[in-house]
Amino acid sequence: MARIKQPMSNRRRIILGIVGIAFIVVGYSVLSNIQKNRNPSDTTIPNLTQFQDGFVEIFKPRKSELEALLNPDAPAKPPWIVVDVWATYSRLFKAMVWASFISVVLGTLMGCYATIESLFSWSLSFLSKIPPTAMLAVFLVIATIFKWDQNMMFIMLVGFGITPTLIQSIYLAAKYDLHKDEIDKAYTLGASNIELIWNVVLRKILPKIIDGIRLTIGPAMVYLIAAEYSLGSEGFGYRIRMQGRMLNMNVVYIYLTFLGMTGLLMGQSMIGIRKLVCPWFGSK
Amino acid sequence: MDNNKIILDIENVSQWFETRQGILNVLHEINLQIVQGQFVSLVGPSGCGKSTLLNAILGTVPPKKGTISAGGIPVLGPNRNVGMVYQHRSLYDFMTTEDNVAFGLMLDQTNLFQRLFMPWYWWPLRKKHMEEARELLNKFKLGHAHKHYPEELSGGMKQRVSVAQSLIMKPKILLLDEPFSALDEAMKQEFQEMLLGLYQENLEAKKKGEPPPYTVIMITHSIEQAFYVSDRIIGLSKNWNDEERGQAGKTFGATKMWDKCAPVYHPDDPRDFDLFFAAQQELNQVVLREDAPDADRNDHVSFWSDLEKGVGTGVTMLRSNQ
Repeated sequence: MARIKQPMSNRRRIILGIVGIAFIVVGYSVLSNIQKNRNPSDTTIPNLTQFQDGFVEIFKPRKSELEALLNPDAPAKPPWIVVDVWATYSRLFKAMVWASFISVVLGTLMGCYATIESLFSWSLSFLSKIPPTAMLAVFLVIATIFKWDQNMMFIMLVGFGITPTLIQSIYLAAKYDLHKDEIDKAYTLGASNIELIWNVVLRKILPKIIDGIRLTIGPAMVYLIAAEYSLGSEGFGYRIRMQGRMLNMNVVYIYLTFLGMTGLLMGQSMIGIRKLVCPWFGSK
Repeated sequence: MDNNKIILDIENVSQWFETRQGILNVLHEINLQIVQGQFVSLVGPSGCGKSTLLNAILGTVPPKKGTISAGGIPVLGPNRNVGMVYQHRSLYDFMTTEDNVAFGLMLDQTNLFQRLFMPWYWWPLRKKHMEEARELLNKFKLGHAHKHYPEELSGGMKQRVSVAQSLIMKPKILLLDEPFSALDEAMKQEFQEMLLGLYQENLEAKKKGEPPPYTVIMITHSIEQAFYVSDRIIGLSKNWNDEERGQAGKTFGATKMWDKCAPVYHPDDPRDFDLFFAAQQELNQVVLREDAPDADRNDHVSFWSDLEKGVGTGVTMLRSNQ
């Protein structure tokens, strides 16, 4: 029997990974088969043929029956997947960029200056405890008052959800990852405060910033999909709700798989970026 | 005395801290003048205020009473006149060895705006800084490791890079905080030789009539290392009394109890271990032993009077063009 934390060869690791995925596929196939035997027209646990139909459905250019009747020459609208990918990921990207920028600036300043830390630390702790999905009603009111469009509202909601936590993680890194000696050393080399922040603090905590952003992709997706599910008129959340209602699970599962794959890709890309720009981090 | 320029002047420095138990006196009326080119070791038992004095010289914790000036400029905070090599965290782990060494030059000769928005100005300068850094690393026998990160270096190599990182700035004084404590014997030897090499440069400069380039103050627990690489040893202790106050050290804090010159040898020359041993024994009796009998604080402070009598060795004894 293997000891706890006993190392493993890469080959074995890959084989076991494939076995894990195979388990899911086989388990699903068995379930789907059982369900099909009970009810041949069931769509809740679709089989391979139904998935093919789902693929065709989401990649099909769209034209409503009314549009086709009124204006037969009008070009068809892009397929669902194109519309939804653009809507969801552009919202996610904008929210992540803004949240990251604000978090890096405020978190770093909080870690460096006790005054800024005192000013924001309690309020941020409070804000980070409010689930952003519970704030949907508030955002709806604010969006009406400030005449925000749907995109803006979702971006603000995701930003509200992830920014306080991200600020806190960056602030803690800036405060505790840098030893006093490293700061004094920079002063003895002639650094000004702004140079110390730019050349020492930010470079030292850069891997933590990248990891912090990577870890907030998941929660950001949760908030965004939940918001689109409740209030959206396009995007992954909206499509999952609409297709789920009609029990078109062949479309829903493809969307979920797509979300999982892109989440994985984004996470791995962030790890790759961290390795590229911070080769010193975790080198031993 | 005229031959020697005072580079560090510590005048009547006392330091105390407020604790829950009341006032804790750490240092009492320290007076110290360090000559340019000297390699001074600061020794004393744990808790005697060596690090407090070092922090005061560095400017991170200014003294409550008294003044400190480096090169004639009062020390008001950490600045580029006083270089520092810490025991552990002198190098930035996110920079390569050469980046670490060139870091000070970058900060000194450019500003952030130039580095971000004036590449035509900054890049040629950057190349020059790297060349200077590599040159210094070669001098310290570290040229092969210029692309390594600190994590990839041994303890002794890290210490030598840290010294290079500070020396490239040509500070008026270089402070070393327990530089030998984390090193094994072989590394200690390497580092010792490097320091002795720098001291030889001081002697040669003085002989030529030039100002000695390196002034070093080192805190160490090891009396042995102190004697090997210093030309002057300062001992701090609380075991002192005076005529007016009797056994005052325990109340008023540590003060300078030992200030004498020490022989420095060329790295290749044999050392007189008997001489070392005798001095070590005496220093141990006066300064280091917890149960040492209280002594008058001037009994073993004879550096300047010895110098006037012509007793001693090292840069202070050399006349220019000698």
